[in-house]
Amino acid sequence: MTLASPNAAAGNGTVRRGFFEPSRIGELSPGGKLVVYSILLIWSAFVLFPLYWIVITSFKLPISVNSGPAYIPWVDFMPSLHAWRDLFDTSPQSPLAETLKPYRNSVIVASFSTLLCVLVGSMAAYALARMEYKPKFGTILLFVLILIGMVVLVGVGGVDWRIAVAVGLALFVLLARALSRYFKRRIGNGDILFWMISQRILPPVVTVVPIYMMFQSVQLLDTHLALILTYTVVNLPIVVWLMHDFFAGIPIDLEESAELDGASKLTVFYEIVLPLARAGLAATTLLVLILSWNEYVLALFLSTTNAQTMPILVAAMNGGEKGILWWSMCVVIIIMIIPVILMALLLQRFISKGVLLGAVKG
Amino acid sequence: MPAVIMILIFSIFPLIVSLILALSRTRLRSGGYQIRYVGLQNFEKQLFGSEQFHFLGTFKTVSAVGWLVAATAAALLIWWMYSYIRGNNLTVLGLIGRLITASLLFGLAMLFAATLFSGTQFGTLGVTLFYVIVGCSVQFVIGLGLAFVCSQPIRGRSFFRVVFFLPLMVTPIGIGFGFRMLADTTKGPFSPLWKLVGLGDFAWASDPWAARVFIIIGDSWQWIPFIFVILLAALENVPRDLVEAGHVDGASNWQIFREITWPQIVPVAATVMLIRVIEAFKLVDLPNIMTSGGPGIATESMTLHAFFAWRALDFSQSAAVSYLLLFVTVVLCVSYFNLIVLRRRAVHG
Amino acid sequence: MSLAEVQRGTPPANKRAQALSIRGLNKWFGSNHVVKDLNIDVAPGEFLVLLGPSGCGKTTGLRIIAGLEIADSGGVFLGDTDVTQVLPKYRDIAMVFQSYALYPHKTVAENIGFPLKVRKVAPAERDAAVRDAAAQVHMEELLERYPRQLSGGQRQRVALARAIVRRPSAFLMDEPLSNLDAKLRGYMRAELKHMQHELGVTTVYVTHDQVEAMTLAHRVAIMDGGVLQQIGSPREVYDNPANRFVAGFMGSPPMNFVEGEVSSGRFESHGVSLPVAANGNSAVAGGRAVMGFRPEDAEIVAPGTGLFDATVYAAELTGDVTLVTVNVGEESLSVKMPKEYDVDFDSTVAVRFPLERGFLFDAGSGQRVDGAFV
Repeated sequence: MTLASPNAAAGNGTVRRGFFEPSRIGELSPGGKLVVYSILLIWSAFVLFPLYWIVITSFKLPISVNSGPAYIPWVDFMPSLHAWRDLFDTSPQSPLAETLKPYRNSVIVASFSTLLCVLVGSMAAYALARMEYKPKFGTILLFVLILIGMVVLVGVGGVDWRIAVAVGLALFVLLARALSRYFKRRIGNGDILFWMISQRILPPVVTVVPIYMMFQSVQLLDTHLALILTYTVVNLPIVVWLMHDFFAGIPIDLEESAELDGASKLTVFYEIVLPLARAGLAATTLLVLILSWNEYVLALFLSTTNAQTMPILVAAMNGGEKGILWWSMCVVIIIMIIPVILMALLLQRFISKGVLLGAVKG
Repeated sequence: MPAVIMILIFSIFPLIVSLILALSRTRLRSGGYQIRYVGLQNFEKQLFGSEQFHFLGTFKTVSAVGWLVAATAAALLIWWMYSYIRGNNLTVLGLIGRLITASLLFGLAMLFAATLFSGTQFGTLGVTLFYVIVGCSVQFVIGLGLAFVCSQPIRGRSFFRVVFFLPLMVTPIGIGFGFRMLADTTKGPFSPLWKLVGLGDFAWASDPWAARVFIIIGDSWQWIPFIFVILLAALENVPRDLVEAGHVDGASNWQIFREITWPQIVPVAATVMLIRVIEAFKLVDLPNIMTSGGPGIATESMTLHAFFAWRALDFSQSAAVSYLLLFVTVVLCVSYFNLIVLRRRAVHG
Repeated sequence: MSLAEVQRGTPPANKRAQALSIRGLNKWFGSNHVVKDLNIDVAPGEFLVLLGPSGCGKTTGLRIIAGLEIADSGGVFLGDTDVTQVLPKYRDIAMVFQSYALYPHKTVAENIGFPLKVRKVAPAERDAAVRDAAAQVHMEELLERYPRQLSGGQRQRVALARAIVRRPSAFLMDEPLSNLDAKLRGYMRAELKHMQHELGVTTVYVTHDQVEAMTLAHRVAIMDGGVLQQIGSPREVYDNPANRFVAGFMGSPPMNFVEGEVSSGRFESHGVSLPVAANGNSAVAGGRAVMGFRPEDAEIVAPGTGLFDATVYAAELTGDVTLVTVNVGEESLSVKMPKEYDVDFDSTVAVRFPLERGFLFDAGSGQRVDGAFV
């Protein structure tokens, strides 16, 4: 029972307080301070120590790594730049000779897929937020059924896929016209949005083998294009979901008044909507960028040598006859982390402003 | 709707192909594949046949503890179904959905009863569920705690916010290697500590449970920031009036959190956990890097299982495992969404 | 803790109404001095209204009394107790927020019962008290509803019930009626006054609406720029405003002001020339002065027969009166006329009011010069 009756406060003007009770609103009690700051410091250490260890290991000579733990540069070991020099050494002996190419691949794949994804995704999100779609449930079912039929034909029947696509398309158009008056149930924007989001439930491993075979059949395996396309699609639901929320939050009056002023839909989108959704756009871009930059499973399946991205390279450094070259590994990890952290610091005020919150509230 | 079409092509189409693969036997030939329809053989192999130990685990006679666990689960589920049927908002769809959820949950309870509680190891399904359930719970509790701490009046809040956010941006592969270095009991930074407690030559990756915990630590290091950031935003979004009204009404800090703040952030918390659970089912990079699924198959998640099968060019087994993962994920996530997230929103929205 | 302990003596509660005083209160937000040396004494059971434009420091003052803000200097006393350093929960003060701050996930009953729940009052006693409080605000029927299912007026009542359920020593209200529509506001105002009278609890009420202040208050405290301008009964403040700000703030439409100069016993402005009494002549420093009169004291008469001539700018029938706006020199003045009155726009008329009802203010300090017109 911590409640002191107000009578107890009479006279001397002070109230007996517990160790964990603040003296005033908006401040922490001594006990609270102790607990809060210890938690903050412990967690900071937990977060920062692995990063610190990676950084110092990248400056260690093999001998300093193999002779047991050395914690502080210049005290426990002499820092050296040898691992970093390997990065720019293209001779075959250098353990990092092959680094720059995957790095370039990663930059290309991540930036292009992010660009494409945000572009397509934000337009789709805007359309979902502002226009009414009422496709008939039956039509969609028909489309999916015909798709299944086509796949079975191509896969099991051995029909040329071009013929199958043509036949399937023709069949779909004909049947859709003929049957459309029997289809009563319609689905709304909410259903489309929910279906898009539900795509995230799909484990990538379920779809990656067919995607692998698909790209193989069109000879796009191990190219930038294959990765860019795949990443774009995988991340599209996130973009649509996050951006939908932002667009929905923009007062429609603004757009309507712009349209009354004579602006076209496209002008409204570029002049009014995009600038207003800038914060959301920034956060979404960063998120998608991080996801495609760090993506591992899909790249593992879809790229081998030419389009190999950084995560694959890092993972491949596991092993070898000399064991893991930790110093080189750390260099690679660091150059992978730096661009993302720079971007994040740049955009952090957008992110911390509860950007993700709106979307999660649903 | 280019986006819809793109997603259709890249999700529905592969799903169908994947299903066909899972129902057939593929063999690599020069310049193509041979695909032969074999029905449910692949699934049979995973669930009952030669791959059972790998997917479900090694079964032994169910021990007394195992029976107890299974019976408790069955009783709880029957009671749950009973109270739903006796309740006044019974629908056919709701009943079917709950039946599916209940039977899957009972199946999983039986699985753990027959493996974990009977003294044998479970397979990749059990491992995946372990990562999802234990990992996500730990992450939620710590993430919420940190968010609560950071929402207090403290100095240097933006500094801690940035620091706590960092791990989310580090590539999971990097985390995997980083934690391997840290966990090294002979050359890692904590080796003096390990020597001190007499574990000098203990290897994390050689004990099944230690290895699993080890992977959950790495996973948590990366994902707690995600939960933290969103819950912190949710906490700061709670109207200040409500908290002040609580102060004036005489509530203590703890009462204000439990009675006012927490109910306000529950819908967000439920959704954030849904996202986290969905992602946790896909966990693959950390076990692959940190332990390669070992020792044995002790840390192999289902995605990793499918990947290993693919690497062995057994596309059909890979697709079958993927489909089983899809089934478990969908049933559990949809149940969670319908039974918890939607209800929270209805009550607090 | 029992309900009786929380309520410390059931009604008649006015026996335990406490005096509330603020002494030498100062508050800075950064370099912004929002409350400047505020001194107010509220008698037990009194209804005091803190009135002022937005940003005048009245809400900050209220929050300091509640304990939600801490003053940089000065003290808050409840009865004989110095509560300056006491947490809000120990202050025995209830507050109604502008947004009502109802807990959205709790029912009406749970909302009202919350102050008792956190004090661990036994459930049975709590229910009885909740029912009592709900009855007082006519909400007995809606106890199981959630706030989002209530109208604005009903939410307001719940907030009031939550404040009265534990019989506090003082009520604080922060613009509680500002979110209601005009009709409901009038009704709730009457109800609030009735309830405060019945409970007899010391009440501090913040508003920017002078009509609310006039109708509700025993005394009004008018603030501007963090400084207390005047404190007194509504009539006193209306009839004898201490300065130009108070004069302009009380009354609707506001008092008319004409800027000009006082020299050799006359107030002179463009087209206005009025005799000034001797003490008015000597009190105005530098001669710059402002003359004021209330629209309801004046009338429009034929040109040449009033105090000064003016041009009609507009005439609006507001229902009970016709509001005539006239221009004199640079100034725009309003006059309340009977509703039957009609006049052509742009015609020349004269304005007349009893000269002793005129006010004279020092243009520099804004202070009123007492007895300037006779």
